[in-house]
Amino acid sequence: MGTPVRSICIVGGGTAGWLTAGIIAARHASDSGRGLQITLIESETIGIIGVGEGTWPTMRSTLKKMGVSETDFFRECNASFKQGAKFSGWVTGAASDFYYHPLMLPEGFPSLDLAPFWTKYSAEHANAPSFSDAVCFQEAVCESGLAPKLITSAEYAGVANYAYHLDAGRFAAFIREHCVKNLGVRHVVDDVTAVIQSDTGDIDYVETKKSGRLSGDLFIDASGFRSLLLGQTLGVPFVKRDDVLFIDRALAVQVPYEDEQSAIVPHTLSVAQKHGWIWDIGLQSRRGVGYVYSSNHVSADTALEELRAYVGSRHRDLQPRQLEIVAGHRQTFWKGNCVAVGLSGGFLEPLEASALVLIEVSADMISSMMPATRETMDIVAKRFNANTHYRWERIIDFLKLHYILSQRTDSKFWIDNRDPVSIPDSLKEQMELWRHRAPGDQDFMSTNEMFPAASYQYVLFGMGFRMNVDDLPLQRGMENAQRAFSQNATLKSKWTKVLPKNRDLINKIKTHGLQKI
Amino acid sequence: MRLVELSRSEHGALRIRPDLAEASAATEHLIPLVTTEYRKAATQYPIVFAKHSETGKFSSYVLNGLGLNENLFWTGTELDVTYVPMNVRRQPFYVGSNNALCIDLDSPCVDTSGTKSIVETDGSDSAYLKEMLSVLRDLMTGREATEAFIANLLSLDLLAPILLDIRLDDGTPLRLEGLYGLDEEHLRQLEERSFLQLRQTGHLDLIYAVLMASGQIFRLIRLKNQRIALRRSWHTNSAG
Repeated sequence: MGTPVRSICIVGGGTAGWLTAGIIAARHASDSGRGLQITLIESETIGIIGVGEGTWPTMRSTLKKMGVSETDFFRECNASFKQGAKFSGWVTGAASDFYYHPLMLPEGFPSLDLAPFWTKYSAEHANAPSFSDAVCFQEAVCESGLAPKLITSAEYAGVANYAYHLDAGRFAAFIREHCVKNLGVRHVVDDVTAVIQSDTGDIDYVETKKSGRLSGDLFIDASGFRSLLLGQTLGVPFVKRDDVLFIDRALAVQVPYEDEQSAIVPHTLSVAQKHGWIWDIGLQSRRGVGYVYSSNHVSADTALEELRAYVGSRHRDLQPRQLEIVAGHRQTFWKGNCVAVGLSGGFLEPLEASALVLIEVSADMISSMMPATRETMDIVAKRFNANTHYRWERIIDFLKLHYILSQRTDSKFWIDNRDPVSIPDSLKEQMELWRHRAPGDQDFMSTNEMFPAASYQYVLFGMGFRMNVDDLPLQRGMENAQRAFSQNATLKSKWTKVLPKNRDLINKIKTHGLQKI
Repeated sequence: MRLVELSRSEHGALRIRPDLAEASAATEHLIPLVTTEYRKAATQYPIVFAKHSETGKFSSYVLNGLGLNENLFWTGTELDVTYVPMNVRRQPFYVGSNNALCIDLDSPCVDTSGTKSIVETDGSDSAYLKEMLSVLRDLMTGREATEAFIANLLSLDLLAPILLDIRLDDGTPLRLEGLYGLDEEHLRQLEERSFLQLRQTGHLDLIYAVLMASGQIFRLIRLKNQRIALRRSWHTNSAG
């Protein structure tokens, strides 16, 4: 029978720790004492980093599965709707330069691929709409500042696909409350003073200041950048990926709104700067703004000036918090009876909000593949590592894609980013294929894909990439394509008339609540 | 709609045509209904639940038609029904904020050819106004009871979207959206404790009424098909 896995010990009380606790507890914990026992140790002295204020649409099903009410989530996490990202200044840096990566597939995708039709049309018409605007109605919804749903929409249901912007600190506290109150997670507030291994190399227990020894059959390292268990104790090295992604500093600042009724932008703004880019995320009570840049290309002082120029002179007194970040991940994510989730496993610049979704995906995988015994744990670990590595590679490819097509020449940062030496071979191969046809599902064969082919289309064509469509037999599908383009136009005019302003809906949700059905 | 607070002196000369109250429902496919009316309404209409467009809150309604703004009971001059909901009969009177009695001066019921007035010659409330006040009072108390009933249904997970896929005689597919009804499967599986609670609060009676009323949808389909047949024969005749 082997040694059963009965208890899980999570070290770290940030977003990673609590989300993981919630996801696993929702599936495995039970009052009868039969399920898994989950303990989370939250440090008294170490604060949380609180990166990742943007989620993916996956967060909707994550919260729903955990049994959380979306209304409560809006009321307590300073949350707002996010309908993708608007990339400004990435292609040329000109004022009119922007494109969208919306959260909805192009009209008709994947049974119909509008990309070649749009490519041909835009080559022949000077004033053709952008790709994202031509194939997806969400861009128009975002540009009008509208919410993705109605007050009559049920919790977690939407007219347009959506994700969230949230206050990471409040979010961790919100999930903690749910985990402790409703999901039976044991919460220990204490500092870990030592991590003790057994003869086999497994983690036996952690020693704490006040609560003594806390043991577990499986340990989850959610200790953040320190990677207390996996990195420091088990010695799994960190693999830098800064040869591909150059960003290594972040300056983050919280910017107040003009007044309580200021519009909340319903998408993430990603505004390219000379040496990196600025994120701008609208929460209910404030904006979260940050400049991520490469310290090899610009001094901290100049970067601060760039950020100050962006937020404007009104906010001159705000003192940004500086973070040092290194793109990369642990060489392996699950070793022995310890698996890392969140920053303890690695970090990438928040360009496509990959931090929180990686936590969800990792926790989901741990939860669904939960080994019944210590003996089968190594098999699970092997699969978990293979999957997670694959995911990191795909995310790195996709982030790099945003840089390699830029035409900016105003700094070495942008020029260096196009150096072929810095581009992963896997991405180079894709780019070769996509010169002749648009990204399709056939390019992404794994069931563990992070970004669908459509996402690559949005970024590729948004960044000004054009494939050669001269030899494609487009006549055959022309009628269907035209129908899809006009369907998109119909949806655009319909929903921009019906959907409420983003803040108006959020206010209504806080007042009246959303119905569960 | 132009709601103003009713003043016995200022509006004493107004004349009302109660017979036009029903006309206000001519293009309403939903009319709000309070629980005290469920039994009577169940003899005529499906009783459904829908969300308020501004708040998302559920209310209960009688269903009059199979499309937006369609009232299949409207004959052109009156509602051909056995029971007229209080929300129709109370026209043109409303209860405003602070429970103030209000009148809709834009209502077709406010008409110089009307036979009813709000006050007698001696200035006291007319019998007609007293009757209207009693309807409004019933509506107000009924509204609270209805909110409690709906809150209970929601907490017990007993509401679900109505999935109706109707094909009319002329082949038109009809889909009703935004309407909710009782989740009969959940009702059957309800644990005894909750079932007992429903019985004690009197909500079980209301549930039976809603269940019985659900069959009235066939009445609406029949009326709709009759209209289609009528229109077709009219077109055929005129073409001939």
